[in-house]
Amino acid sequence: MKRLLTIPAYLWAIACLLLIPVTFIGNESFAGQMAKLKFMKVNPVYTGGEITDSVNEPDLDTYIYKPVFEALIGESKEGFVQVKFSSPSDTLPEIITKTIDYNLDDSNDFILEVNTATGKTIVTSMNPLVEDVNISSRLKNEWVVRVGLKNLLK
Amino acid sequence: MKQQKTFSTTGSIGKSFLWLLPMTLLIVLFTTGGKFSFDDKVSLVAFLISFIFFNWLFFMILYKGRTDRYRAAGFIILALFFALTFIVNLIQSRGSMTFSNETLLACEIPFCHIVTTMVILPLIFTGSIIFPGQITGGFAPIAGMLVIVLGVMLALGRGFCSWGCFYGGWDDATSRILKKPVIKKVNPAFRWAAFAVLIIVVIMSAISLGPTYCDWLCPFKAVTEFEKVTSTIILMKTIVFVSLFASLVIILPVLTKKRIQCTTFCPMGALCSLSNKINVFDVRIDREKCSSCMKCTTVCPTLSLEKSDVEKGRPAMTCMKCGKCIDSCTKNAINYHIKGTPVGKNLTAARMLFIFPAFTLLVIFTAGTMQQGIILLVKLFTTGSLF
Repeated sequence: MKRLLTIPAYLWAIACLLLIPVTFIGNESFAGQMAKLKFMKVNPVYTGGEITDSVNEPDLDTYIYKPVFEALIGESKEGFVQVKFSSPSDTLPEIITKTIDYNLDDSNDFILEVNTATGKTIVTSMNPLVEDVNISSRLKNEWVVRVGLKNLLK
Repeated sequence: MKQQKTFSTTGSIGKSFLWLLPMTLLIVLFTTGGKFSFDDKVSLVAFLISFIFFNWLFFMILYKGRTDRYRAAGFIILALFFALTFIVNLIQSRGSMTFSNETLLACEIPFCHIVTTMVILPLIFTGSIIFPGQITGGFAPIAGMLVIVLGVMLALGRGFCSWGCFYGGWDDATSRILKKPVIKKVNPAFRWAAFAVLIIVVIMSAISLGPTYCDWLCPFKAVTEFEKVTSTIILMKTIVFVSLFASLVIILPVLTKKRIQCTTFCPMGALCSLSNKINVFDVRIDREKCSSCMKCTTVCPTLSLEKSDVEKGRPAMTCMKCGKCIDSCTKNAINYHIKGTPVGKNLTAARMLFIFPAFTLLVIFTAGTMQQGIILLVKLFTTGSLF
């Protein structure tokens, strides 16, 4: 019995011998296959989530994302909504002022004022669930603002 | 006492050359990336140096019948050149070693293998990866790195920590600085500390949905990238990781001659230790040959061997398969072993079957980095600048 065990043991060891070069040579292909798996996506806490609404104007495009209330289980008490500004001409206006309806209920929730030269960002809340600015940053030729939110369901 | 001849290649130039040939082909493949075109003479020189270096290392492993010192030479070069090339690339692309909100929002942080430990639990519960990186494309994408981690853990278990980790060479190097340790006895119980770190980091990352270890603790941020100091919290984080680098990667390894960071603090090390359980290779002590001199327990850099382990005939699951205990044993009682096969038999076969994939991994990780590092050093000496 012990002698019989040595055969699969050596075969397994030989398979490991091949596994290392195969892992690296085929990395791009394996990674591509892995990327197709349902769970292979970056958490919305980092990406900002999905875009739910966009407003396109001649000098400015505004993208409003789905509010993010990520938690390990269920939803968290606090989250954020991401708003992204980009310019069709690749040059953002120095001052951006926008009124945002983040939950698409046809009532405005906050006014966002961004100075793209200094980065100074002001949120004027019109909804008790809206808190302050979490992040306001240039992102290549775009500008991203994350505004803190309280979770209505918590 | 001089080590006796153990393996069929030991002391035989002919046999060593013969066994070197398949590895030479792999070295050519991984140092050239499969194409023989060099941008300039410096690239060609860098290729030749790394080609000769790896062939020499592997030949010496075969001819001398010793593993650790030659492995360590390649492994330490990997760590040093990785840091050099990574930092230079960062400064060239971003202007500094720091990353900002812009880098985070763009999800452009390279995925390091240590992050694997932190993404598993949130992946199960949220069905997503809690790391601001790219799934595919770019440098060190998440899917690509996960494939490597899975492949290497399956093939080598915790051998990854001694043959492939591009950080491990730091404390491997510093632990070799002094000839004798200043702190002579380190409690072997510390080998389980990394498991505590793993558990804490997994729980904290799951609760915060953020890679806690990377955010707060990783000492290797000192030689890769770190957050730009824009607030008191980030300043605190900076103080923490710099202190950890100084203590766990430099001071304590120098004083103890042990790989303290890898042994006591690396969550990935703990995860790889678990993978040792499903890996086919291990290190075994032939009790019939062992004289119980306990030299192996003093040289083991990861505290994986204590008296009770020697009596049991095997190191703890935390063994990194570096080969130091094997080289130190004057009775040739310790050897690489394939699970399911008899201990103390077919030593050359067991050693070859482990050394080949392990050394291939070292070549794969080091080859490109070493060549880029050589090119940078040539640039530094000829122009006075790395950029």
